[in-house]
Amino acid sequence: MTASLPDEVVDPNAPVTNMDYFMALEFEEIICPVVQRYADGLLAGKIIGHRCPQCELVYVPPRGYCPIDVLETTEADEVELADRGVVTNYTVVTPVQYYGQEETEPFAKVSVLLDEPGGMLSLQDVLEVPVAEVRIGMRLEAVWVPEAERTVAEIGNRWGGAGGCILGWRATGEPDVSPDQLNDRVF
Amino acid sequence: MCSTFAVSDRRLSSHVIEFPYTRSLGPVYSEFLTGLRDQRIIGIRNSDGSVLCPPTEWDPATGEALALDFVDVGPAGTVTTWAWVVHPTRKHPLSHPFAFALIQLDGAATALLHAVDAGSAEKMATGMRVTPRWRDERIGFITDLEAFVPLPLLKGESK
Repeated sequence: MTASLPDEVVDPNAPVTNMDYFMALEFEEIICPVVQRYADGLLAGKIIGHRCPQCELVYVPPRGYCPIDVLETTEADEVELADRGVVTNYTVVTPVQYYGQEETEPFAKVSVLLDEPGGMLSLQDVLEVPVAEVRIGMRLEAVWVPEAERTVAEIGNRWGGAGGCILGWRATGEPDVSPDQLNDRVF
Repeated sequence: MCSTFAVSDRRLSSHVIEFPYTRSLGPVYSEFLTGLRDQRIIGIRNSDGSVLCPPTEWDPATGEALALDFVDVGPAGTVTTWAWVVHPTRKHPLSHPFAFALIQLDGAATALLHAVDAGSAEKMATGMRVTPRWRDERIGFITDLEAFVPLPLLKGESK
């Protein structure tokens, strides 16, 4: 019930002057059908998105609507997406050792624009590539968790991701895509 | 907004948003929780001479600041009211059914809210005598008192 910050040294005989505890909010939500189908797809090794019938943008994870055209999208708009793509954007995170931080070394989170029919997965992990070599235009392919070990427990209605099914992305070794070709495709 | 097409079963996603929080205790709660760590229960002398436990910084009737005149109370006490918890949650002090009770510790004029590990609701009664069960490892937290347990009646005492 109490929290101790990392490296905090407590004198067992000193007066108790502070109280540490967790602020905690625990909740369960029913996964909406669109996300369930996305999660089932991941378990089967498929990335499923929704393509807006009007603007043809592909949304992944699917949300059941296109926020640009304010249109509902349904099972009829599902498209199976590629598990290869290109880095359009990235962030190198230098981990601060706050409570619960498990990372100790700088790591990159990348946005991957998937090959045709498209779709953008953000905040993806890069495997086997030194942080300094992560760059816009780098070609990547998904590294799937072995089918028997896949889990979608962390996929909720708002933060979808693919963690638990896709371990991360590794470089394919193909030539980089020129950033000019990624204009207007960053998000 | 969700589409309405059918899926085979409903599925839940569980989330915990949790972060550590530290508050400073001030002179009175600091004394109280230091006492618990040292296996003592401490009250404070109120302006009318009675003892408040849990101790407060202020006279509850007038709001006047109290002198830091601390008094040991208990460890045994009397249940003044209680409620039986049938299904404890993750954050409850015990993982099996127990009572939340107001316990007036011997020597105190007010009552402390804590758990009574009585086994079953039938063993609970207003006016029953209880005594603390301390944790072996105490850190200056209210849960250093793991729970109170029923005190056997002394010879000659009647229920």
